Amino acid sequence: MSKLNETDIQGFVLRGYNLPVARYLFLRFEGAARARKLIGRLLSEITTGQRWDGVKPQSTVNIAFTHRGLERLELPDATLLSFPVEFQQGMRHRAEILGDCGVNSPDHWEEIWREDRVDAWIGINGVTGESLEARCAATLSLINETGGATAISSQDAAAVVINGKPTTSEHFGYTDGFGNPDYLGIERSTQPGQGKLMPNRTWAPLATGELLLGYADEAGELPVAPIPHLLASNGTFMVYRKLHQNVATFRAYLDKQSLLYGGGKEKLAAKFIGRWRDGTPLELSPDHPDQAIVQNSNRNTDFTYGADAEGNRCPIGAHIRRVHPRDAFGFNGQLINRRRITRRGLPYGRFVPEGEPVDDTEERGIIFMVLNASLSRQFEFVQQQWVQYGNDARLGNDKDMLLGSHGGTGRFVVQGEARPSNPPFVCSNLPDFVELRGGDYFFLPSITALGMIAMGLVDPR
Amino acid sequence: MSNINGKVYAMNAITPMKPWKTWIVRVILFLLGLLKSLRQTVIDLSFIEFARWVVLPRGGFPFLGNGQKREDLRYDYLLFFSNFNGTWNQYIDAFSAVLSKGLNLIWNWSEKFPGSVPVTIFKEYIARVQFDTDYYYTAYPHATANDVKSAHIVQSSLDSLSLVAGQCSPEQFADAYLQFVLQVQTHLGETGDAPIAG
Repeated sequence: MSKLNETDIQGFVLRGYNLPVARYLFLRFEGAARARKLIGRLLSEITTGQRWDGVKPQSTVNIAFTHRGLERLELPDATLLSFPVEFQQGMRHRAEILGDCGVNSPDHWEEIWREDRVDAWIGINGVTGESLEARCAATLSLINETGGATAISSQDAAAVVINGKPTTSEHFGYTDGFGNPDYLGIERSTQPGQGKLMPNRTWAPLATGELLLGYADEAGELPVAPIPHLLASNGTFMVYRKLHQNVATFRAYLDKQSLLYGGGKEKLAAKFIGRWRDGTPLELSPDHPDQAIVQNSNRNTDFTYGADAEGNRCPIGAHIRRVHPRDAFGFNGQLINRRRITRRGLPYGRFVPEGEPVDDTEERGIIFMVLNASLSRQFEFVQQQWVQYGNDARLGNDKDMLLGSHGGTGRFVVQGEARPSNPPFVCSNLPDFVELRGGDYFFLPSITALGMIAMGLVDPR
Repeated sequence: MSNINGKVYAMNAITPMKPWKTWIVRVILFLLGLLKSLRQTVIDLSFIEFARWVVLPRGGFPFLGNGQKREDLRYDYLLFFSNFNGTWNQYIDAFSAVLSKGLNLIWNWSEKFPGSVPVTIFKEYIARVQFDTDYYYTAYPHATANDVKSAHIVQSSLDSLSLVAGQCSPEQFADAYLQFVLQVQTHLGETGDAPIAG
């Protein structure tokens, strides 16, 4: 297919910026006319998907709206009602479907997410703290000048800094950010293992319509989208989830279990995820981490599970095998190609190195953002069927080791062999390692659509 | 009074066929019955408990007399009956993704069948020809087909272990127990409630 119109697509959709610091502003609109004026003023500030040609900007700005926000902007009813139901409802109303229960239920969320208060998300990323602050100040002064919105809350996030360098590590100590899919037409150096598996065992980019509205998806049809087409096209849906990480609980659990596990602590940590903490896939190197693989982008995502049906290398319930099963369900991966999601986001809170005292009550976790063309078919399916349930992986009701809401009764089976260094092992009484603190579903429109919204020209016909 | 009973969903779809086409379908179903290799995809879809197509000939409907009027039917009917685990959408998505040729082969002879790809039009067709389930019994509402298969493996492995356990030395038992764990290690998932239908 031909190249996409990159200048019409928000840059946040087409690429992970790989900028180390970010602030997410949450807006409440104040009057439709003023709010539209604000969007009009912001329009020239929005970072598009246009290539940077080697020169990274100092900061980026992107914007997305909840359904309520679009209501407050007074989009026509015919348009508002044409959005998919799950987006109209918002994430809080989907809690039971998503398995967001117990400590993860909306009653426990941060205040702004407990009621319908957030109309828009503005994501600002920066190269340094200073450039981030400057861009935030400029954006806030635009907001104040127009009087179109109030920033009711904000969330800071930043890459974990180790030895003075920003890294892709997260708070449990795993190297993160390997798994984003490739899509047709999106210029990015494609990597084996990141698209869909072909019958000849090579990898090809997914259909553009799995990420962007207005293009054919893997089923050969256009994703469900609001009317008019011009509003939807080149836009996408975004999930925002603030995931608190109980690092103390995680470390204590890993320490305790590894006393009983014959393969050693680091191997057990690797079995939880499917990668050694440095990022080496267990499938490629089951007995030790291997930086030669991690550093090689032609290798670090290029693997399948077909030859490991018993889970001897990577356990059947390991996190990466659950959320991106590749060929694990057979049929050359055809059952998963319409369930892929693109991840964005950064950790928040102070990183505490292994061995230093750490407390679960401290603010610490990951801002988990997902981009997909269909919230229900992609994100919600992965969350419900593969994270909070296990039948597709033939694991019954077992949940994802790290993300599942276990309530102290969860179980994770590490499949093994007869050799003592890779024994079978059962992790019982799993606590909740991760807790949801709130979030919502957003629509991330194209530049054209933002212009239409700003000018009040959305015409459902 | 529902298509859903715990983790199992029952689907009935009835589609009309012009009588001359029925013979083609009979031949296709006969060949499918003969050749297991042609059915392998359905067998490999582990969330399908049961799937069957049956021809209901127009002269084959019961006539009881006693005032029942004779019917002059112009179509034969194809009954599709399936029990599966997961949601309706998930099931049809999977069918459309990996079995589209097979479905087309069987259903192409039914009136107004649009083809199994693209999936949205196929779903609309199924919704139109589907009949809801009036009564549905399932022995294990908290188990999927995978769960039941796993339970059989765990049970038979445990039975074998208990047979030898009495005569084992502690060392022999340790070996036998390890072998038992290796046999059951991919079959230990919990049973329980199904996820909530979206």
